[in-house]
Amino acid sequence: MTEGVHRRGLRFLRDRWRVVLRLGGWSVLETGQTFLTGFALARGLDAGFLAGRIGTGLAWLGVAGLAVLVAAYGTVRVYDAVAALAEPLRDRLVTRVVSRGVREGDAGSLSGLTQQVEIARDTFAGLVMVSRSFVFTAVGAVVGLASLHPLLLLVVGPPLAAGLGLFTVTLRPLARRQEAFLAADEALADRLGAVCPGLRDITAAGAEERVAAGTRTCVDAEQRAADALARWGVLRVVSLALGGRLPIVLLLACAPWLLDHGVTAGALVGALAYVTQSLLPALHNLVHGLGTSGSRLVVVLQRLMREATCGAEAETVARTEAEAETGAGGWAGAKPQREAGAEGRAEDEREPSNPPALSLTSVTFAYGPCATPVIDDLDLTLPPGAHLAVVGPSGIGKSTLAALVAGMVEPRSGTVRLRGHPVPGPEAAALRVLIPQEAYVFTGTLAENLGLLRQTPVPEAELLGAAEAVGLLPLLEALGGPTATIDPAALSAGERQLIALTRAYLSRAPLALLDEATCHLDARAEQRAERAFADRPGGTLVVVAHRIGSARRADRVLVMDGPHTAYGTHDELLRRSPTYRDLVGGWTPAPSQPALALRDPDRVDAVAGTGLAGDGGHVVAHGPVGQVQAPRDLRHRGSLGGEG
Amino acid sequence: MTEATRTLTGPLGPAPVRTLALCLVSTAATGAGLLLPAALGHTLDLLLTRAPATRWVLYCAGIVLLLALLDACETVLHGTLDARTTAWLRRRLTRHVLAVGPRAAARFGPGDLVARLVGNAAQAGTAPTGRAALLAALAGPVGGIVALALIDPWLAAVLLAGAPVLALLLRALARDTRDCVARYQKAQGRIAQALSEAVRGHRTIEAAGAADRETARILRPLPELSEAGHRMWRVQGRAAGRSVAVAPLLQLGVVAVAGVLLARHRLTVGEVLAASRYAVLATGVGVLVGQLAGLARARAATERLHEVLAEPAPGYGERGLPPGPGRLELRGVTARRGGRAVLDGVDLVVPGGTTLAVVGRSGAGKSLLAAVAGRLAEPDAGEVRLDGVPLRDLTHDALRRAVGHAFERPALLGGTVEEEIGLALSSPSPARVREASRTAHADDFVRRLPQGYATPVSAAPRSGGESQRLGLARAFAHGGRLLILDDALSSLDTVTEARITAALVNGGRHDGTRLLIAHRATTAARADAVAWLDGGRVRAVGRHEELWGIPEYRAVFAGEERA
Repeated sequence: MTEGVHRRGLRFLRDRWRVVLRLGGWSVLETGQTFLTGFALARGLDAGFLAGRIGTGLAWLGVAGLAVLVAAYGTVRVYDAVAALAEPLRDRLVTRVVSRGVREGDAGSLSGLTQQVEIARDTFAGLVMVSRSFVFTAVGAVVGLASLHPLLLLVVGPPLAAGLGLFTVTLRPLARRQEAFLAADEALADRLGAVCPGLRDITAAGAEERVAAGTRTCVDAEQRAADALARWGVLRVVSLALGGRLPIVLLLACAPWLLDHGVTAGALVGALAYVTQSLLPALHNLVHGLGTSGSRLVVVLQRLMREATCGAEAETVARTEAEAETGAGGWAGAKPQREAGAEGRAEDEREPSNPPALSLTSVTFAYGPCATPVIDDLDLTLPPGAHLAVVGPSGIGKSTLAALVAGMVEPRSGTVRLRGHPVPGPEAAALRVLIPQEAYVFTGTLAENLGLLRQTPVPEAELLGAAEAVGLLPLLEALGGPTATIDPAALSAGERQLIALTRAYLSRAPLALLDEATCHLDARAEQRAERAFADRPGGTLVVVAHRIGSARRADRVLVMDGPHTAYGTHDELLRRSPTYRDLVGGWTPAPSQPALALRDPDRVDAVAGTGLAGDGGHVVAHGPVGQVQAPRDLRHRGSLGGEG
Repeated sequence: MTEATRTLTGPLGPAPVRTLALCLVSTAATGAGLLLPAALGHTLDLLLTRAPATRWVLYCAGIVLLLALLDACETVLHGTLDARTTAWLRRRLTRHVLAVGPRAAARFGPGDLVARLVGNAAQAGTAPTGRAALLAALAGPVGGIVALALIDPWLAAVLLAGAPVLALLLRALARDTRDCVARYQKAQGRIAQALSEAVRGHRTIEAAGAADRETARILRPLPELSEAGHRMWRVQGRAAGRSVAVAPLLQLGVVAVAGVLLARHRLTVGEVLAASRYAVLATGVGVLVGQLAGLARARAATERLHEVLAEPAPGYGERGLPPGPGRLELRGVTARRGGRAVLDGVDLVVPGGTTLAVVGRSGAGKSLLAAVAGRLAEPDAGEVRLDGVPLRDLTHDALRRAVGHAFERPALLGGTVEEEIGLALSSPSPARVREASRTAHADDFVRRLPQGYATPVSAAPRSGGESQRLGLARAFAHGGRLLILDDALSSLDTVTEARITAALVNGGRHDGTRLLIAHRATTAARADAVAWLDGGRVRAVGRHEELWGIPEYRAVFAGEERA
């Protein structure tokens, strides 16, 4: 992984060799300044001040001053060059994060965008600055030492090399401590990120002490990691002492010998200036900058890359599913249901020239190799123009079925076909449109939103026609027409669903899959929207039902309930399927007619013997209504629990 | 909490000895750093005059070694002290936040709380080291100038004359950047906004195969972001260009004056070397400025932590619960939120062992009633009693053991499924967890998870209904004589809901008192009685079918007929 990041980093720089060259070019000015730090001082002393020629001395210092100004200009340009590296990196990471977020629907991508990418940008720029600065300063100092007197280099060079060597060797263990610290820090943030939104539940459970203990473990672990990091930091101090401080002592110790071999007083002062004013600070920055920012950058980049590349398929699918289903996402079983498609298949055989709008053959789907299948050996055939409602308890796999038909997940075995075209496949993809429960509406014009599924802008007349059919027209007018910019947050969930439905209506795909796409609409609006889809000439409609009304309107119903899965018309299923009766029963006590539902003699309650524990159940209110006493034996009141 | 109002830490922090040691070490290091140039200069002079200098070379070596040692000590002390203070703050705050409970999340928002506990605590944790290092940071520049003045007053004069220029130019840095930072953040915000919309709609995008197009659309502000970013670098570069020139120029000025004095034999070569070093130290004001800015940040962060600590934690009483059926009484309960009385003099009695459904339009105060009934929120007036004992007189353990809660959106804390269900004072047995899970109709889907009950909830894809069932299982495993379900069945399909309600109301699984906040008529119909809340008051209490005759009561359920 680390290798991957390093290699990519090198490639990134290689692709931008012009910028790197420019960066180097402007940095040379800094080398010049460093060079003159010692050289001008030495010359100024030897040829100027010590020789009594003040003018010469000042002239040399003037040259150094000029070099400072030139280098300052170089610094300005260096920032430009760093920008030309850091900004493309940021652009690239943003693109990656956004494309991953869009593809996987991962909410974590948002923090990736606003935080991790920014950390990567800043640390990368910092690293470039620090390492470049060290290289060019060191070159300036080394050249300066050599030109003052080669022997000076002999004294300063070895400890500098030793310090750098030690630093290089310790870089990796230091980076590991840094990574451990970052990991501990993140674990703590995750923990607190779970605890703070869960305070209500923790208090309710009385688990404050236990949770505090668990959090303390994370805090302690983070502290230990920070302590270890601090102790390992001593290695940096040693590198610095070796590379930057030892040369000072050595220069002094060797001074008599150096002076004997022709090193002038000015040169000695210059050499000391190189060590204390150039090498020591540059090494200090390198040792502290590379150690922390380097590993920070690698960790952040690894995170951004890993999430981008490893699209662990099952994980993604599972997440998609969990989000897709309102009631429940996962692992509901469905037993073999061979007879399910019998009727449809018969129709299919009657009209062989006209392939079915949708056919599923022995389709089995499970989330993992070991998991119990969600859909098990399902056969289903729908002729063009059919209107199917899919009902069943939440979590049973209704949305999974929709996803299978849409080709968003692939069955473990069996085939799905749309008009004879295999799913997934490009032909099949053009034949269907899926409207999930969570409507996608983005900040933009209404026309942009409605035309999302079309390659070219939709003519206004067609737009208005679709809006009229689905029931969006009043909202469209209220918003200010198709060209109005809309703010999704200002719309209600139902309004967003209307927009998504109209968009799907405009897509021209013959098969529409409404996966609880109308759950936030009221019953009348839902009926109107469903009718609009059902009435499209040749249009096939599959509705994962949110209300039982959807099943009543459909000409056939698939009841998914594991071993009790059944298929037929509303009336047939009322006779045949207990689950369906349950569902209808559960749905029916719509407040419009509770008495009827409660007294329905045909109703078979899913729960056997629902006798209410009613001896003397009374509730006394002391409120404005006065006292309402309700002591009675509920068992004798009957009907509520379904005992009739 | 009296300790909450006290200062968070003294000036020396929770580890005063270490802080003092750090202060000592860093000041000593600065002192040694100030000593070194003088020693270097003197040694150099001795060497240049060929006088015996071994002792002075050794002195210099000693100072350099001392510097390295002090540096090492400082590194370790600095790092560990920061870690210690931060951890201390976090432990303290976590404890307090947990003691305050849901109020803390309501007051600050969970995200902000996390930010305070993570980010602000880390910043505030640097306060002791910042203070400890302040003396050293101050001693460096001041010592440098004093040393220059001691060598020759002219040298100090040159530096001091140039200092105002330095200060002006350093200030320019702070002024310029703000505007382009704002532009940058705006462009970034637009991308983030569009991305968050797309994340929510990713299923539509995926089904439509429109990922590329949507990515491109979301990235439309990217060039703008890039441009703002480039501008930021440019502004920073200009500021840096100015500031990097100032210090070396000041140093050169000092050296030039020193050179002239050298030529006039008023200074030695060694003193020129020392002067150039002291000039560097004297221009280290930037370090001091940075240190002060860091301290200011740490103080602001500490202030934000103080705000959290100032939020009082509810106290608990001394009493236990007598044996009883779980009779719940609310007497004149009034609770205000934002100046409005959400509950307005509510009187209710739920006899032990019965089920009361609370219904009402949204905003009628149902959830607050549920919270007050289980002491997750305090009433502003009135009293809640359980089996005759006011809730506030109960000990923490007695109260929490007696009352179980389930919520519309249970918060899962990131443990395994088993741990999540077993979240309570003391963890229930595995058998009890499974039994509760079965009652909540969660056992089925849990057993289909890759590792069953040992699956971490973060790895288990969950929908609202599944989370809700885990929350219900948690409440059932918790038990207690009063069970409060705050809309905890809303995401279940009607069949599952009916089964769970029936099991509950039947008393088979739970023999205590039940308080159900309900949206569905079917749930209300199964309860022994219904309390109809309207505008924070109890409008009526009675059986569902009795109340059904009132059109306004029926209107409460309008739009609730969906599955």
